Amino acid sequence: MNKKTLKHIGHQDKPAYRFPFVAVMGQEMVKKALLLNLVNPLIGGVLLAGEKGTAKSTLVRNLGQIAPDMEVVDLPLNATEDRVIGSIDIEKTISQGKRAFGSGILKKAHGNILYIDEVNLLSEHIVNSILEVAASGVNHIEREGISFEHPARFVLIGTMNPEEGFLRSQFLDRFGLYVAVEGSKNPVERKEIVKRRLAFEHHTASFIKTWEGDTEMLKNQIKEARKNLGAVKISETVFKLTADIVNEAYCAGNRAELVMIETARALAALAGRQNINIDDIKEAAQLVLPHRKREKPNDPQESQPDDQNDEEPEEQPEENQEEDQNDSDKEDEADSGEDSADQTEPEASESPDDTDADDTDVDDSDKEESELPQQPELSEILDQIDAIGRTFMIKNLNIKAVDRKKRKGEGKRLKTKTDTKKGQYIKSAIPRNTINDLAFDATLRAAAPYQRVREDNGLALIIKTEDLREKLREKRTGSTIVFVVDASGSMGAKKRMETVKGAAVSLLTDAYQKRDRVGLVSFRKKDAEVLLNITRSVDMAEKCLRDLPTGGKTPLAAGLQKGYEVIKNEQRKNQDLLPILVLVSDGRTNAALREGDPFTEALEMGKRIAGEGVQTIVVDTEVDFIKLGLAKKLAVAMGARYYRIEDLEADVLAEAVRDLSKESSF
Amino acid sequence: MKNINIIYPFTGIVGQETMKKALILNIINPLLGGVLIRGEKGTAKSTAVRALADLLPSRSQVEGCPFGCDPREPANMCSDCLEKYENKETFVEVFGRMKVVDLPVSATEDRVVGTLDIEHAIKKGEKKFEPGILAQANRNILYVDEVNLLDDHIVDVLLDSAAMGVNTIEREGVSFFHPSRFILVGTMNPEEGDLRPQLLDRFGMVVDVIGERNPDQRIDVIKNRLAYEKDKEAFANLFTADQQDLRDRILKAKKLLEKVSYGDEMLEMAVKISIALDVDGHRADIAMIKTAMTIAAFKGQTEVAPADMQEAAELVLPHRLRRTPFEEGIYNFDQVEQIINAVGSAQDVVV
Repeated sequence: MNKKTLKHIGHQDKPAYRFPFVAVMGQEMVKKALLLNLVNPLIGGVLLAGEKGTAKSTLVRNLGQIAPDMEVVDLPLNATEDRVIGSIDIEKTISQGKRAFGSGILKKAHGNILYIDEVNLLSEHIVNSILEVAASGVNHIEREGISFEHPARFVLIGTMNPEEGFLRSQFLDRFGLYVAVEGSKNPVERKEIVKRRLAFEHHTASFIKTWEGDTEMLKNQIKEARKNLGAVKISETVFKLTADIVNEAYCAGNRAELVMIETARALAALAGRQNINIDDIKEAAQLVLPHRKREKPNDPQESQPDDQNDEEPEEQPEENQEEDQNDSDKEDEADSGEDSADQTEPEASESPDDTDADDTDVDDSDKEESELPQQPELSEILDQIDAIGRTFMIKNLNIKAVDRKKRKGEGKRLKTKTDTKKGQYIKSAIPRNTINDLAFDATLRAAAPYQRVREDNGLALIIKTEDLREKLREKRTGSTIVFVVDASGSMGAKKRMETVKGAAVSLLTDAYQKRDRVGLVSFRKKDAEVLLNITRSVDMAEKCLRDLPTGGKTPLAAGLQKGYEVIKNEQRKNQDLLPILVLVSDGRTNAALREGDPFTEALEMGKRIAGEGVQTIVVDTEVDFIKLGLAKKLAVAMGARYYRIEDLEADVLAEAVRDLSKESSF
Repeated sequence: MKNINIIYPFTGIVGQETMKKALILNIINPLLGGVLIRGEKGTAKSTAVRALADLLPSRSQVEGCPFGCDPREPANMCSDCLEKYENKETFVEVFGRMKVVDLPVSATEDRVVGTLDIEHAIKKGEKKFEPGILAQANRNILYVDEVNLLDDHIVDVLLDSAAMGVNTIEREGVSFFHPSRFILVGTMNPEEGDLRPQLLDRFGMVVDVIGERNPDQRIDVIKNRLAYEKDKEAFANLFTADQQDLRDRILKAKKLLEKVSYGDEMLEMAVKISIALDVDGHRADIAMIKTAMTIAAFKGQTEVAPADMQEAAELVLPHRLRRTPFEEGIYNFDQVEQIINAVGSAQDVVV
């Protein structure tokens, strides 16, 4: 096969044969946001989030057609660090005998548009490089013996499907504007979309020709607007109004104001005006605030008002829970090195009175069950199917199982650098011991400067041991999570199951985004049942959950046992499995596997599971007036992390974005 | 052992009509976006895909181009060919058959997207790009067996190329792009887990196969298989005429496709179906019309009929319905039928 020599190509693709930007039907908000960035690059780009097949990428990739002097520079997901920030130029270095800089994508992006498709899937490592450069406007390279810097100011455009996970807020904030993209629901418009697409595919050249005029017109409009931009005045009222709006939205930092004013300027310029009017500000706010808006801080909703009468002060469980989190985090921290410093509380101090309190609680529960036998029984007889309640974004639970072998070094939560040859190559390093995964490109770069002084052995390139570099790879390691869900009669009361289902679906969605595999076990009546064996299909798990009836007694121990069996079976197939068991229950139980007290049995079972090295999480569903704290007690016995159901929710910022990505209305 | 390389003839596959139809439609019209075949083990999934090789038409390509560019299609040329095209240089044209290119689940990223040519670098001290599977796949069928087991980062790459028809490489010191337009064909066993929705959506159509239930057909399946294993050549010879027939039909349909038109009411159906079923985005509408047009061409018609729309909907929609449990692989297309009938009859009144 003929091999091709490498070329550096300015344009990613010949735009002459691409779908015309102006021929994209609808998506006015998206188009507007993109145009504004062409008029005023200070806006800082746009993030387009939305369902698949809505012309997101088509619009961005063809933005170059209407840009007077900018092009779209593509950053593919599998880009390696050397190509992103730039690195040694091998050919020049060899021929000149001294290190020469070979520019990367960021150099190419300077003064242009940097486009990242599926930006939410980008390697954390590359994200960090981009963030740094985006913040300073300068790409500073210190690597492979090269010290170099060049300006790198670009319009950052990302597209993503929120189903696949979200961006962290720091990265999110880098995008000036945000648009939630949705398909059109208008039949006439939809028909036109299909027609145009087919026309483009069948008669590419003539289709493009019909839109040339419009393209040219839009291009001129942008040129005009750019000329206008300098003349647009920003009055005191505009400053004031902007500040007020941003204040109202509880945005962090000052970027929102700046971006909003720049956007309003561009809007005015595009309209040929020299003053910014109220509508400009309103429109700007719609684009600038969605991903920055937060809910009012110090929302008092968190604490539960009905806890007032409780003997125990409210802080106690709070505090316990925090400490629990610290405890289990510790294992993670040892590896990941994130804020491991703040473990000041001595662990022993809380345990004595804590268990005391729990003991009395257990007594209470026994009493309650003996005193009020009818009430649960009624619900135990009747099966009912509750709807899935409100779902939400799960906060960062750090529920990655810990695998000490692989996770030494700089482990990240979502992605782990792996030793094996699997995973995505992101950067290279000087090998620690023997090399089994040679990074040839990096080795070449390391060897390049010395070629002139090394003895000739007939080859063009002489490589010595000290040049060798190995690949550092990153792999999204999903865990295997088995959900054990209480579906007994008591859960049917007061829409509790709805809440539980909502929380479980939220956890499942979270699991999907983290590439976890899930299994589902429920327990009710006399036994536990495997609803779903380990799978990657969250859809299936969700369906099982939706149809899950509640009713009957509460065989907690049986549920735990079944959950453990599922994990055990899976471990036989895959030894590297990182299993996690999530128990969703209030800890109450009234059906034992064998003779004896059901709760004691559940405790025993929990301890045994913990003894087998399975990481566990207990999600407490208890909402009753009098808290028994059984789930908490179980969590302590299992060494599990403990969360109350309402504690699972992510911070308000992410939540706000999530809501917005669902409904594009502002 | 002499005829070890003789593949099972496509026309010798008993039953599995939907799967066969889906594959043939994709050969007729490579713009349909490929097909994902889901089903239990032993349902002739892989056999059918591999058997395609014998049916694939030959097409014109630029000689020596590693991407097999079409000398008449500048829009999808690699940069070298495009340069020649625009400089009005003449191409040496050769005819080559479309191929089935395998993407093994264990493939590493550098092999998939292409990488730095190590040998060249050491011998010459120059960087050179060594094309990978995505280069081979250009204008061919890219087949991924067990596609649901593919590593996530490979899936991402695949998605990008499948979406844009271009493979962009920015890694290992290499900066390069080349056309990579392929018909993506995947097979999977849903028991082993599902595909990410994003990748799922890239497949133009999805077919769920189940083992034949009809006892007579089951017997035929076994008989054929045994006959094939006993003497591959003799078995293949039995189907020579059928294979040629099918090849001719495909070629004819390919030609006819350019003449197939669709009425506005067909468009109306597609759009209404998509809206009623609440599918994501617009890909379903477009795929439905294109598939219906290809079905019409395969049937020898020049105009899309409501029946074609129904058939197309059944191929194009299963994986696009929102939040549908797909463990059974059986869908209810009553609603689709209703819309088709409603739009169809409304049109009759107008006419």
